Amino acid sequence: MRIVSPTGKFVFATVEYASGDWESAPALPGNLIDSLVRYTTIEAEPAGVSVRLDSAEVFNYPFLWLTGHLPVRFSDAERQNLKRYVERGGFIMVDDHNHDITGIFHQTATAEIERLFGKMKRLPNDHEIYRCFFEFKGGPPHTQHELNGWGDDLLHPYLDAVLVGDRIGLLYSSKDYSSEWNFHPETKQHMQQDITKFGVNLIVYALTR
Amino acid sequence: MPSPGSGPRARVALEWALRLTAFALLGWYLVDALREGGQERVERAEHGALAAELRRWSTSSAPERVAVTLAHSPEGRERDWLGALAGAGTEVGWSGPELLPTAVMVEPRADPMGGVDVSASAPRGATVTLRDSLGELGSAPASEWGVGAVLPASVRSVNAAVGAVTAGAALEDSLSLRRLMVVGAAGWETKFVIAALEERGWDVDAHVVVSPKGDVKQGDVGDRLDTARYSVVLAVDSTAARYGESIARFVRQGGGLVLWPSAAGVRAFAGVAPAATLGERIEDTGRVPSDSAPREVLELHPLTRLSDDAEVLERRGSAVAIAARRVGIGRVLQLGYANSWRWRMAGGTDAPELHRQWLTDVVGRVAYTGRLQLPPRPTTSAPLVALFDRLGMPATDGQDPDEGWGGEVPGWLFFVIGACLIAEWASRRVRGVR
Repeated sequence: MRIVSPTGKFVFATVEYASGDWESAPALPGNLIDSLVRYTTIEAEPAGVSVRLDSAEVFNYPFLWLTGHLPVRFSDAERQNLKRYVERGGFIMVDDHNHDITGIFHQTATAEIERLFGKMKRLPNDHEIYRCFFEFKGGPPHTQHELNGWGDDLLHPYLDAVLVGDRIGLLYSSKDYSSEWNFHPETKQHMQQDITKFGVNLIVYALTR
Repeated sequence: MPSPGSGPRARVALEWALRLTAFALLGWYLVDALREGGQERVERAEHGALAAELRRWSTSSAPERVAVTLAHSPEGRERDWLGALAGAGTEVGWSGPELLPTAVMVEPRADPMGGVDVSASAPRGATVTLRDSLGELGSAPASEWGVGAVLPASVRSVNAAVGAVTAGAALEDSLSLRRLMVVGAAGWETKFVIAALEERGWDVDAHVVVSPKGDVKQGDVGDRLDTARYSVVLAVDSTAARYGESIARFVRQGGGLVLWPSAAGVRAFAGVAPAATLGERIEDTGRVPSDSAPREVLELHPLTRLSDDAEVLERRGSAVAIAARRVGIGRVLQLGYANSWRWRMAGGTDAPELHRQWLTDVVGRVAYTGRLQLPPRPTTSAPLVALFDRLGMPATDGQDPDEGWGGEVPGWLFFVIGACLIAEWASRRVRGVR
């Protein structure tokens, strides 16, 4: 784990939690940071960090990414920190790396989230997060895993969220952006379309709302 | 050559003259005193009987002089009544050795949650008890600066009791707050400043700079900044340069400006910032901000080369952390702290609320506010001052308030009579006559 002293710069932080494979998308942070500095003037640390959810350190990173394939069972300290983190204004993206709503990650992660915050709300597809930088008129962009029929073989047209007031504190995705954006950095130059643009929206939203 | 026996005769004559002079002066004083005493009536009153005595003095009795001993500060009605007596020709003397100088002031806070700032002055160490119409609010010993308190918005008037004196003050007006405008780059400080102020109840417009192609704007953000719409502009970093001249003009017209360290270098702010330069950055310690001293661990850019009219509002150690100054009819507050968001996110249990309060206090110190006059309420904010103003100086400590009137032997008279009698007696003794 690399610790970055708290500054005004954006730091991409991946959540370490005790029960699962939190490190399952190691190339994702670099790709999103690359897109962020490419499209915006936001100051960002060039490399991401990982941070334990049960540590006080987590509060130094108001943007967190949580993913995995395995069961999610938070410890008491992890639960306590996650609730406090969201209530204080942090933004955490939880993404199902299995892309399977019958899968173990989805079942256990949503149970943990709803245990802490109650039932998540379906985010309307004209929400600010779909237009705060790039515009996504149809809501969340689909991933290759959805289009190829992997996982649960479903196109998930919505994201779910825990709202604090009218602000998103926790965003939950069954779309498997963790696979979509976990490619080798060199690959991007060969893409006709940059598939990470929605990731930029997530960060811009977190930094401005 | 004088004839024998002329010396003793002259001496006897002188002795008679001295004797007569002394008795004549004494007689004159007694006659004068009897004449005055016959014409003048002096009345006295203790505090408990003052109201009844005032009625009597104003109706059936009409004393030329009254002497009042006050055990506590009189009500405004009693004080004015005594003043009216004095105005009608009665000499009014008063004393109140137990009365301590006390004053109280209430001001509305520039805070969407409302609230009242109370400042009470009293002798150092004296216990000040604050009360409102519902009862006691609390008490504290007065420091060098008195006692200060922030009370809820429901409080409209406050009494401050110090010993036997009770001062009272009521709000004279309420504030009409405008919107706030936040300008900054997309980042945690900008985000959390906006969030904290909105959570406190401020209406916030924002221009958050994201890229050359597109920014995030909140509210009806235009190029024109004026006090009809905004109370304060908050410049979080150098992206505020795009509004530089507008902001400087806004301040000169009466608006408020809060500058973060990253905004201090904007050229347009050079003429309005309290500090000309910033000292070497003191990095965030990374420690958890405590609820008791949360800003001790934050990143700090000490304010240096303060302008002559700048007032230091907060220091951290020897470094100036917050300073403010007036510019035209507006005010500018400059922060040395950066990344205060860490306090809210990583601080103790009360950190989010304390952070909101702190930011509101920062904004409130410079906010342009319209004022709406409230119906006046009769109060006496400084009872002893009012008493001095109405009745003049009190009798000095240990002196009876009517002392000095009638019966007193003037010093010069006593001296002359004494000198005459001593000279006469000495002359007789020298002659050998008893």
